[in-house]
Amino acid sequence: MAIMNLLFANREVPGIENIAVYEAHGGYQGLRKAVSLDRQAVIDEVKSSGLRGRGGAGFPTWIKWNGLPKNYDKPHYVICNADEGEPGTYKDRELLLKLAHTLVEGMAIAGYATCSTQGYVYIRGEYVEPAWQLRKAIDQAYKAGYLGKNILGIEGFNFDLNIHMGAGSYECGEESALMSSLMGERGNPRLKFPHAPLPTVEGVWKSPTLINNVETYCAATWILANGAEKYSALGTERSKGTKIISVSGHIRRPSNYEVEMGTPLLELIDAAGGVVGGSLKAVIPGGSSVQIVPAEKLAGINLDYESCFANGTLLGSGGFMAFNDRTDIVLLMKRTSEFYAHESCGKCTPCREGTRWLYRILDRITSGGGQEGDIELLLSVCANIDGRSYCGLGDAAAWPIVGAIKAFREEFEYWIKYKKSPVGSHAVPPSPDPVNPLLRLSAVNR
Amino acid sequence: MSENKLTQTDATLNPPTTDLVNIKINGVAVKVPKGENIIESARRVGVDIPYFCYHPRLSKGDAANCRMCLIEVASTAPDGSVRKMPKPQAACTMPASEGLVVETETPAIIKDRKGILEFLLINHPLDCPVCDRGGECPLQNNTLFYGPPTSRFIEEKRHYPKSYPLSEHVVFDRERCIQCARCTRFTEDISGDSQLGFLKRGADIEVGSFASTAYQSKFSGNVIELCPVGALLSRNYRFKARPWDLLTQKSICTQCSNGCNIKYDYRVDKIQRVNARLNEDVNEEWTCDRGKFGHDYISADSRLREPLVKRGGKWHPISWTEAYALVAEKFKAAGSNVAGIGGANATNEDNFAFQKFFRETLKSSNIDHRLGAYQGPGAGPIFSRLGYHTTGTTIAELESAKTIFLLGTELADEQPILFLRVRKAARFKGAAIVNALDRAVADTTSASDFADVDLLYRPGTEVALLNGVLNVLFSKELVAAQDGLDFSGLQSAVAEWTPEKAAAETGVSAESIVRAAELLARGSVAVIAGKTVTEHAYYTDIAAVLANLVIAVGSPAGLNIPVTDFNAQGAADMGVLPDYGPGYTPVASAGLNTRGILQAAASGSLGALWIVGAELLEQYADTKLAESALENCQFIVMNALSLTPTASMADLILPVASAAEKDGTVTSCERRIQRIYRAFDISGNVKPDWLVFTEVAELLGGGAPYVSARDIWRDIAQTIPTHSSITLKSLGESGIRWQYAHPAPKPTVAAAPYKAPAAAGTSRA
Repeated sequence: MAIMNLLFANREVPGIENIAVYEAHGGYQGLRKAVSLDRQAVIDEVKSSGLRGRGGAGFPTWIKWNGLPKNYDKPHYVICNADEGEPGTYKDRELLLKLAHTLVEGMAIAGYATCSTQGYVYIRGEYVEPAWQLRKAIDQAYKAGYLGKNILGIEGFNFDLNIHMGAGSYECGEESALMSSLMGERGNPRLKFPHAPLPTVEGVWKSPTLINNVETYCAATWILANGAEKYSALGTERSKGTKIISVSGHIRRPSNYEVEMGTPLLELIDAAGGVVGGSLKAVIPGGSSVQIVPAEKLAGINLDYESCFANGTLLGSGGFMAFNDRTDIVLLMKRTSEFYAHESCGKCTPCREGTRWLYRILDRITSGGGQEGDIELLLSVCANIDGRSYCGLGDAAAWPIVGAIKAFREEFEYWIKYKKSPVGSHAVPPSPDPVNPLLRLSAVNR
Repeated sequence: MSENKLTQTDATLNPPTTDLVNIKINGVAVKVPKGENIIESARRVGVDIPYFCYHPRLSKGDAANCRMCLIEVASTAPDGSVRKMPKPQAACTMPASEGLVVETETPAIIKDRKGILEFLLINHPLDCPVCDRGGECPLQNNTLFYGPPTSRFIEEKRHYPKSYPLSEHVVFDRERCIQCARCTRFTEDISGDSQLGFLKRGADIEVGSFASTAYQSKFSGNVIELCPVGALLSRNYRFKARPWDLLTQKSICTQCSNGCNIKYDYRVDKIQRVNARLNEDVNEEWTCDRGKFGHDYISADSRLREPLVKRGGKWHPISWTEAYALVAEKFKAAGSNVAGIGGANATNEDNFAFQKFFRETLKSSNIDHRLGAYQGPGAGPIFSRLGYHTTGTTIAELESAKTIFLLGTELADEQPILFLRVRKAARFKGAAIVNALDRAVADTTSASDFADVDLLYRPGTEVALLNGVLNVLFSKELVAAQDGLDFSGLQSAVAEWTPEKAAAETGVSAESIVRAAELLARGSVAVIAGKTVTEHAYYTDIAAVLANLVIAVGSPAGLNIPVTDFNAQGAADMGVLPDYGPGYTPVASAGLNTRGILQAAASGSLGALWIVGAELLEQYADTKLAESALENCQFIVMNALSLTPTASMADLILPVASAAEKDGTVTSCERRIQRIYRAFDISGNVKPDWLVFTEVAELLGGGAPYVSARDIWRDIAQTIPTHSSITLKSLGESGIRWQYAHPAPKPTVAAAPYKAPAAAGTSRA
């Protein structure tokens, strides 16, 4: 098990972003296969592949596809979550830049399977070039008859695909906030099951809505083109297929790596050329929201949902960050908490007040104002946020800090006691500009 | 129906059903309606769940944000096993379902509440000693009962300037705000102006208006009461009092005819603030800004505290004895050549005593409370057709209408509380709104924001427009046959009014007319006609066509032409009309109406005129006539609160009690009789109107010796059959809508003539 390019099979092909090249490399065969099947058969194909959502939560994809009501008395919508905001994750960016046709094809398949006529790709506002590539791909697909009316000559199979650019909010990557934003509301999360119906029953515009990650739709394309059996043959018992991991940090060849589910984590580090600037200190395997793992605990971890969870972290969206031994974990957490304080939408109390408080405490500690009891205070504030917030952003802000204290408590204690970094000159620079001037107001006042 | 409901509103989110489900709250088994939120369910078993953002009248879409109402929830599987949800859940949006097991007092929940309150307080300024809300603040109360005793926050708090002027009436203290979204949801869900929203995000989030423009709303005062902390403050009341220093008296708002239940909060003889009082049938818990901020006049320094007589062009204070002697002398001299105008702002008791004094003591029927253009028969133009005088629908019934037709009204100004119900019907109950308005007056109204179709007609073409709608109803066969009703006459009368012809005449597009007719054909129609109609020269004709319309669509009880002045309905009921006595009993010989009285006064032939609080110069349509009447009348006595322009043209002014200084009953536009209560006296020297009439009547030899308003009510109940079963006690907290004794008349259809408006287009009186 190691690098295994399924979705990325053609990523180095010159001109693959053009439809002719894409078709020459087996493009749109998945869609042709899908329309030759019954709608339910397409869903069953996704089911037997064992595909799980690649946005981070790992929810079985076919349950969503199958969850849209089948009486079709309301319009159905297919939405792609391309608001890739998780720090450390950049897999969707490459998929959109090079393989936008795979996404278009996957969404058209989903449109066919769920009897939807409208699709939306919600792309984060900063992804201008990926959005242009997708725009080109959509235009080409319309011309080639893969989108629009009576697709592939099938009477009544109509599917339009639209691009919606976000405005730079991390929160809008949360699926219910994404739907709010898509409908023109403030990008706040919405009530979820059991407080409100599932999106598959009442999503955007009170209509059944299917919402998946870019990678999930791309995987669906591969599954339809190559067969569910081939896909489910890969991976572990419960995590099937491959996962694209965005490797970054103190690593020789940071890039997107597609690995088979269950690949040992250390193998990926080797494949990426190993750690630079020192020896390996810790890894965040799934984006900044998941708990950090110290180097000595990495040996037993495989890159699949279950193994990561069993080792106290998550595979998440695949934002894999490696840190060498010159990394100051406290400063890393300060920067992480600043991100969440800045990105909290402000709707619910624990996240709004708690994320800012966490940042202020860490800012104080790393400015030389640490006090005895601050570690307990951090843990207590994290506990008061975790599970109490309106959506997952609060949890995501609390977990990394809890994980960091668990794994590197002595570094926090060092900062509090000696008012300086335990690693000497640290490798995580302070952010060049305050992300938000108000966040730094306290520092000025002090 | 009427707007694209993007927010998760309560109408569509877990709608309450009549099915009952079994749930368990803290070990107590209880049956509750399926879908009910757990805060409400817990109340049924006496369990209190603290909250800030939840409000039963606001949509749930933006609720569950304060996280104060977290509870532990488990579900029971059919096999009896209980599965606990891993995270605590917000009770305010958690729908009750079969087998739900709720725990609200576990150690984890107690800890969570402490955590939430600590979070809410870290940036709260804790300036309770100078906060208006102190003493009645949910944040204080919840902190006392559920909060941590101390804070661990040692960082600097968030600071803003203390007062941000949000609107004319509302001041915003951003430091105190806990971002519960009650105010923003109010503007979205209730008032419909969507003026407030959230700006910025995270801990910098703040409530604000678009581009920091003024918060413009006719209902802005409600957000002050909704705010669970002292963040939204009344500009008038700010720093005026501590809540525990205030005395409270129940009352009815005097600013319009809707009969909103309010509370006066006062100290000694000064009203400090007005808050809404719950009445599900009338205002629910809302007030309009006119009502909330418009009662300053009661405690104003300009109030008169003794009778004034004009001698040589100057005002001289005199005693009541001298004043009464003067009135008696003048009215005795004038005999029955006397008249009275007013009463629309007085209580039922005042009006009853007023008309009784004129009819029995002075033997004159020259009394009228009406100041509008319509001066026709006192029963009004629709009574003979539909069996009611003004309103066929109650305020609460508007909610269940399928289609509401607004004609010529800026409802939010004229009938603010009716407007809120119409808006509620549109937003939460799926009612369709047809909004017809005179485009000479305005090309948009507050209802245009949510109306399904706007009909902007040329002034004076209301009859053509309505005939056009009727034509479509008939030609598209949208009128259901009704027992014993023959529509053929009407049908042929409106046959010429094809949508195209009506469109050409009215300036409304034919498609809009057809659309309006289709919506009206949905049945269960409520029509509300406003001032543009009642002030119209063709009011009688328009009313006749409106009657045709409601009969044709099968809602003969759906027409509403509500009065606008405070107790104008009560004044009419009590018989302050030239041609009808109490209870609309016709009098043998009708007296002069307001116009007749003023004409007589202007010609100098009227012996004496008594004005009961009517501001003729400001309110009467023909200011010239009013002016000449006030100048030329031989003697004018006026009951007044202060020296208004009209009062200053009188010969004698009697200082009378305001609504806060007397007991009595008033009747709202929907015929609801409600009580007002004396809160205080501004002076021992002002008297209620009824006492003035009673005392003068005694002086002139006659009249009943009333000693209290209660006495008069007894007399009213004996005199008016429709009021006979109503006692002050039976009025209770929410009042009683008096009912007609006669059965509703059989509807009749009658075509009304259409008179084209004058070429200049100004056909209004």
